[in-house]
Amino acid sequence: MTASLSRTGAVPALELRDLRRSFRTRDGDVVAVDGVDLVVQPGEVVALLGPNGAGKTTTLDVVLGLTSPTSGTARVLGRSPRGAVRAGLVGAVLQTGGLLPSLTVRETLLYLAACHPGLSGGRGEAADDALHRTGIAHLAGRRVSRCSGGEQQRVRFAAALLADPALVVLDEPTAGMDVHARREFWDVMHAEAAAGRTVVFATHYLEEAEAFADRTVLMAGGRVVADGPTHEVRARALGRTVAVSVPDPDAALAVVAAAVAEAGGAVLHARTDAGRLEVRVSDSDAAARAVLALPGAHDLEVRAGSLEDAFVLLTGRAEPGPEAPGTARPLPASTTAPTTAPTAAPTMEVSR
Amino acid sequence: MSTVLPSAPTADRRPARPRPLDPTLLRLELRRLLRDPTVWVFSVGLPGFLYVMLGTSQEYADTSVGDGNLAMWVMVAMAAYGGVTATVGVGGRAALERTQGWGRQLGLTPLADLTWVGTKAALACVLAALPVLLVYGLGLALGAEGTTAAWLGSLALVLAGSWLFALLGLAVGLAFSSDQAVGVASGAVVVLGFLGNVFYPLSGVLLDLARFTPMYGYVGLARYPLTQGWTSAGAGPAYHDAWWLLVANVATWTILFAVASVLLVRRGRGRQ
Repeated sequence: MTASLSRTGAVPALELRDLRRSFRTRDGDVVAVDGVDLVVQPGEVVALLGPNGAGKTTTLDVVLGLTSPTSGTARVLGRSPRGAVRAGLVGAVLQTGGLLPSLTVRETLLYLAACHPGLSGGRGEAADDALHRTGIAHLAGRRVSRCSGGEQQRVRFAAALLADPALVVLDEPTAGMDVHARREFWDVMHAEAAAGRTVVFATHYLEEAEAFADRTVLMAGGRVVADGPTHEVRARALGRTVAVSVPDPDAALAVVAAAVAEAGGAVLHARTDAGRLEVRVSDSDAAARAVLALPGAHDLEVRAGSLEDAFVLLTGRAEPGPEAPGTARPLPASTTAPTTAPTAAPTMEVSR
Repeated sequence: MSTVLPSAPTADRRPARPRPLDPTLLRLELRRLLRDPTVWVFSVGLPGFLYVMLGTSQEYADTSVGDGNLAMWVMVAMAAYGGVTATVGVGGRAALERTQGWGRQLGLTPLADLTWVGTKAALACVLAALPVLLVYGLGLALGAEGTTAAWLGSLALVLAGSWLFALLGLAVGLAFSSDQAVGVASGAVVVLGFLGNVFYPLSGVLLDLARFTPMYGYVGLARYPLTQGWTSAGAGPAYHDAWWLLVANVATWTILFAVASVLLVRRGRGRQ
């Protein structure tokens, strides 16, 4: 299904301009966010993907009005971050959001519902509705102190959905959940996103970004290093590794590089061993076609690129491969909706 | 194919003006506190126990003090001690909640600071009333005597004044890290209680210093309907405190606690 996600004339759900945030520590200033530009349109589901320390949490803290930027601007649904929260438009699951251990699960939701004075309908109904939507109705009477980490995380999630928010912000939402709970969580989130909510979530799991986000923003070192449709970010920033056994790997590498360049891609990394060539490329189809055409080529293997490798390359913390011009060049960080991304990516999955 | 997604409403849902108190929040806070057995034992039970131990001795309980007897003098002090312990506890817990992640959770809601402070203040009042009423009930049953004006006047002053110490608890809770705060707060109340003439009548240099400590003014005012400011119990000569000096003591400390709390709240905002 193809969907137009950007509503023309709509106020962006999220608009960050040259956002910077540094923290003063004993060892000098630490820059957590270093010039982030990001625009999210209403209805988008966006993953902030990055390793620990990439600046994801600090960025989201600014979006939620929990911390103010050192410089740059943040607008949420056309308001200041705190203004949007005060208007009851934002729901969030925080990594460090504490719950009161002596309340029961339902009391916790009742309490937080009472913190939304503009809630339409009763607080009891809002709490019960959130319990049912997130599948934790069976925990209603249990004390928070008796809930497991994963269960507490689902209580936070129910709290985030309490007030029917337009923007849902999730910081590592599935941390502490087992595989089953994780799948259930994302099922619920799918349903909520289909109801038209804008969802921005931080994760360091590539699989979560792939399974859920239409658009992925790759962050590293406090910057946006890639931004676009998830499958494209994955293909272009992470690439795939093509490995093949050939009599002359160095000659084969030259052929592959030419073929990939012709297809509009790039070789991200290359390694030649005795009789074996391994290249990480953004267009694995072209590379595979080219190597298989070589005389004597056999044992072709195509693997998905790993996020960790990509981060190392993108943040320039490792030497680039010998035949990798433009290795550390990030994708153009698009500050518009993914539909306007300049590359050939005509379709986007909106829901599954 | 183009799909227009329904979108969640983005209009402001805030009511025009925040409420100074929310009954749902107060009910949940109260339920949560009263579920804690340590609250019943130390905050409600202990002042009553202290009154029975200190205020019902056959030897001196019936000694005349002002418009009543010594048992009543002790009763007012123990009720005040109980009220202060309760409100310091509420303030301290409130501060800890704010610094231990729950503050961030509340920061994600439109909850107005006014509503939060108002609800906690009401909680402190209710929680302080429990030990105060228990001690007064015990006094009534076990021989405290005084004029009706002394009974009602002191009760009103004990209840009204204890509330100010919620600010002390708040400041202590914000100033110290989680585990230290509880010990510091309860220790401070005992020390301030001694310096405030609560447990034992002071005299000499210690009394001169004690006049400047926070509980002195509060307890002095609470006993005013009974003694009109005179203290004749204890070893030293009788002495008199003017009501306006006691009021000045209370007012000064209230301002100091409030300023400290505001400064500490500002320091504590943001990610912990």
